[in-house]
Amino acid sequence: MSKPLKDLRPVYVVGIGLHRYQFLSNTTYIDLGLTAVRAALADANIEWPTVESAYVGRALLPMACGRPILRHLGATGIPIVHVENASASGSAAFRHACIEVASGLTEVSLALGVDKPMMIARSEGLSGIGNLADDAIAPFTHFALLADQYASQYHVRHEDIALVAVKNHRNGSKNPFAQHQKERTLDEILGGKKIAGTLTSLQCTPVGEGAAAVIVASEGGIKRLGIDASRAVRVAASAGRSQKVNTDATRYDAVLTKETAEIAFREGGISPRELDIVELHDAFTVEEIEYVEAMGICGDGEAILRLKDGEFDIGGRCAVSPSGGLISMGHPIGPTGLGQIVEIARQLRGEAGPRQHPNTRTGLAHMVGVGAVCYVHILQK
Amino acid sequence: MSSPTLLKPTLYRAQGSEDDPHHPALLGGACECGYVFFPLRSYGCERCGRVGLEPRALSGRGKLIASARVHLHGGKTRQAPFTVGSVTLDDGPIVRTLIAGDDVALPGDRMVTTLVPVTDAEGAERLDLRFTPQR
Repeated sequence: MSKPLKDLRPVYVVGIGLHRYQFLSNTTYIDLGLTAVRAALADANIEWPTVESAYVGRALLPMACGRPILRHLGATGIPIVHVENASASGSAAFRHACIEVASGLTEVSLALGVDKPMMIARSEGLSGIGNLADDAIAPFTHFALLADQYASQYHVRHEDIALVAVKNHRNGSKNPFAQHQKERTLDEILGGKKIAGTLTSLQCTPVGEGAAAVIVASEGGIKRLGIDASRAVRVAASAGRSQKVNTDATRYDAVLTKETAEIAFREGGISPRELDIVELHDAFTVEEIEYVEAMGICGDGEAILRLKDGEFDIGGRCAVSPSGGLISMGHPIGPTGLGQIVEIARQLRGEAGPRQHPNTRTGLAHMVGVGAVCYVHILQK
Repeated sequence: MSSPTLLKPTLYRAQGSEDDPHHPALLGGACECGYVFFPLRSYGCERCGRVGLEPRALSGRGKLIASARVHLHGGKTRQAPFTVGSVTLDDGPIVRTLIAGDDVALPGDRMVTTLVPVTDAEGAERLDLRFTPQR
């Protein structure tokens, strides 16, 4: 009989660290990764040799980037696994680090996400299966089509979908680790460079680099290492799924999000309306609209109304993308899913400073990736 | 001079389907389980895993779900702007496709296939499939 994560040994996030997400620079991936891991070790107040295994999420860096980074902390000989799962690489690394601790194989494990912008090559293009318009539909065009579909289905204005970007740039302007740290007006966002359909550049995630590190530990590990248990955040649920055949063939990310989130809610024993904060895959504005509805945070076709009411603002009913999300904080691919865990842990501890959402007890992290794959984690204080 | 050949002859043909002889057919497939898909692939059925999938010519008719004018495009083979759309075929599958020329199509519009002249990577004239609103 298979079991959910929560029926195994409890797992806690005990250390978090980031390297700022930024446009391509001369910073090496070694520096990016080391900065995040050293910050996470300092946050947990533990030494590197206490970490028993490492999961390294990356999608663009070439094979085996983990040890070239981690050796500079002192090569302790721990097992290192590289995880590639498209945009969800960091989320997958986190899930498997949690599973290893929960299973009892380790007491303390690291999940590190690191990437630099590089040529993207997709295996689907090598499948031998042709496509009518494969060279014409970039990811932003896929989401421009979904934005048109949503606007047509619910009779909303494209300008209203762009309000997601106003909120997320405002949140990101308060995040020192965000790639974009500038508040933007709706006019600035709509008046920006046109990409596809009604999507403009500030409604799309920037391409960039960065790193995010999360250290997870068991109760035994926390006690043995003297980690401050009052700052530890429980991993209440972990779910991962991949796309099935469904009738809503173009909205596969939303369908998959609904299915994966339902598993996580069931495992965590909580309802979507109980969430205080959500970090989701808002690479393009319409995604946030689709996913808050798919997860049941609001009803179908209601996301624009709730957004206009301020329900998804920091201080609203449920803060969505308080970090700035992918649109403002950025999406360096490998780190992104782990950066979400960092933000949620910070918010649950009450350490998010000017972007702190009040009385945060439950947070959800969501990523989709090309494939499609989907991960949902629920964290609680 | 012979007429131009098709750019992607594994995906469509000039001849129509049984249901719609007037518009180029899409070369899809069908499984015993009832799953109809595009394009044809022989690896196995995505729904049930069976092998031995049958080719099926799908009618070149459908309904537009969404469209987007592309203003920025990185590929070297195509110059922006151009328009793409999602079309639900009358035979079931949803396809992502190019919309012919500067045709304006709105969600809900009936769409049909058409072949348009294009220049391939070697500079030769070929015919490629587009969807266009049914007049």
